[in-house]
Amino acid sequence: MLANILVTTLVNAAAYAMLAVGFSLIFGVGRIINLAHTAYYMLAGFSIYTLVATAGCPAAPAVLLTIALITVIAVLCYKLLIDPMREHETTVLIITIALALVFQELMLKYFGGQFRSVPSLARGFFVILGVQVTRQHALTCMVLVLILGAVWLLLQKTRLGLAIRATAQDKEVANLMGMDVSRIAAITAAISAALAATAGALVAPLNILEPHMWLHPLTIILAIVVLGGLGSIKGSILGAVIIALSESLVIFLLPQGSFLKGAFSLLIMIIVLLIRPEGLFGVALEGER
Amino acid sequence: MLEVKELTVCYDTAMLLNEVSMEVHRGELVSLIGPNGAGKTTLMRTISGLVLWEKQMKRGTRAGNITITGEVYFQGRRIDQLPPHQIARMGLVLCPERRRPFSELTVEENLGAGAYLVRHRRRYQDTLELVYRTFPVLKKRSRQISATLSGGEQQMLAIGRALMTRPLLLCIDEPSTGLSPLIKQELFARIKEINESGITMLLVEQDVNLTLAMSTRSYILSHSKIVARGDRNELLADETIRRSYLGL
Ligand SMILES: Nc1ncnc2c1ncn2[C@@H]1O[C@H](COP(=O)(O)OP(=O)(O)OP(=O)(O)O)[C@@H](O)[C@H]1O
Ligand SMILES: [Mg+2]
Repeated sequence: MLANILVTTLVNAAAYAMLAVGFSLIFGVGRIINLAHTAYYMLAGFSIYTLVATAGCPAAPAVLLTIALITVIAVLCYKLLIDPMREHETTVLIITIALALVFQELMLKYFGGQFRSVPSLARGFFVILGVQVTRQHALTCMVLVLILGAVWLLLQKTRLGLAIRATAQDKEVANLMGMDVSRIAAITAAISAALAATAGALVAPLNILEPHMWLHPLTIILAIVVLGGLGSIKGSILGAVIIALSESLVIFLLPQGSFLKGAFSLLIMIIVLLIRPEGLFGVALEGER
Repeated sequence: MLEVKELTVCYDTAMLLNEVSMEVHRGELVSLIGPNGAGKTTLMRTISGLVLWEKQMKRGTRAGNITITGEVYFQGRRIDQLPPHQIARMGLVLCPERRRPFSELTVEENLGAGAYLVRHRRRYQDTLELVYRTFPVLKKRSRQISATLSGGEQQMLAIGRALMTRPLLLCIDEPSTGLSPLIKQELFARIKEINESGITMLLVEQDVNLTLAMSTRSYILSHSKIVARGDRNELLADETIRRSYLGL
């Protein structure tokens, strides 16, 4: 029981971290609060379902294809709908929530509202320290952590990563140093969507699939990024771990009260905000000029 | 090298630059002097493409209601329609007002960001060494987060970062603001050195004495207009200019 909870916590933490990091990245670079972010996660789930359960595609290509497909869709949405409205923050909120709803309705139309499940991408289980862990859980967790590590390296060690961080700090100066900031923002949007798609593709088989499945993670991610400090990658990861842990703790301590886990996460967020309004690793948002 | 022709910039209903014309020739150190609010920063931002970029970013809002007329040429090519990153790529680089380091990045990362266009490893190392030789304190602080640098160090970092782009024409907007007289002199000496190393410069400054002394030529901007131009002797010879614009 405890071991299961631990495994679930780890997988959840990694999946939340993936989603939160992507959300933070595009917020940092474009000052865009993308409420459609977890809709990409949902779309990835349906894409995996279609490819694996309906078309009988093998797991690895299905995952790659899903990531590519969702990233293309997300970049198109970014370029056509979000980027032109970037300076109008409220409009961006409205557009992105509308996008999420459109995706939800489309999935409802084509797949219906019933709960579905995706067949495991990897069958069987490992025994780790005497605990049975399904391959799907173990692989998902490992791949997610590896990808998070790769994103960290990309940001810290590469020319593109430095440009992304510089652009997030000061777009005008980034411009002056010869960086094409709108291209960098588009690349960031792509990375952000690819992370959401990866989380969706890998986590979908562990969860139930249905068109409203973007809403709960969106709330959780908002809690995480506010908790960790909006725009901070480190904060997103730490926030994800804290929230996943708190969810598991609620389920463990109150087996009948597991529906309270979301409320409990939000409670933690509120407490942290009362003590540290800028979040754990908050960056005070300075004017751009 | 740089030629500005009858540049007029209006933000909404306010005219910030009124038919400004000026030029900078290769190798010169040209300075732009003028009282607060004259439009010096606006001129720098227009030349480097930031005003046009701001206009495009904020289109559809009142702050985006900017009109730019006139022409800007750099090395014979018209640049007033180009985005800032392309202008920087051509070698015209602005070190902006108020330093603006990437404050959460370390000193070295700031310099690395400046070298975004320098893809060649060897060239990057050479440029970095050059910057560290010009401003040794940056080397000492290379791993420090730039927000924690002193004002003088931040200014050196801002100039160093701009140098990392390998500019042909380096524009610096008010580098001496808030610096002690000693540091200011030191900084001006470095700026002179950089110019002598072959980088053409356009310098915006408030300190009239020091600036006139080291510039090849100067322009005086007041109330959005160029009101005088010339070298130190020419400007100082004119009683009205001395009184009303230079405060001497
Ligand atoms: N975005 C803007 N919208 C409207 N007016 C502006 C804007 N930016 C600057 N101004 C105004 O334009 C005038 C010129 O500003 P600018 O910053 O170019 O002056 P400056 O010569 O650089 O002054 P300082 O020496 O104080 O730096 C000022 O009166 C300022 O209030
Ligand atoms: Mg100014």
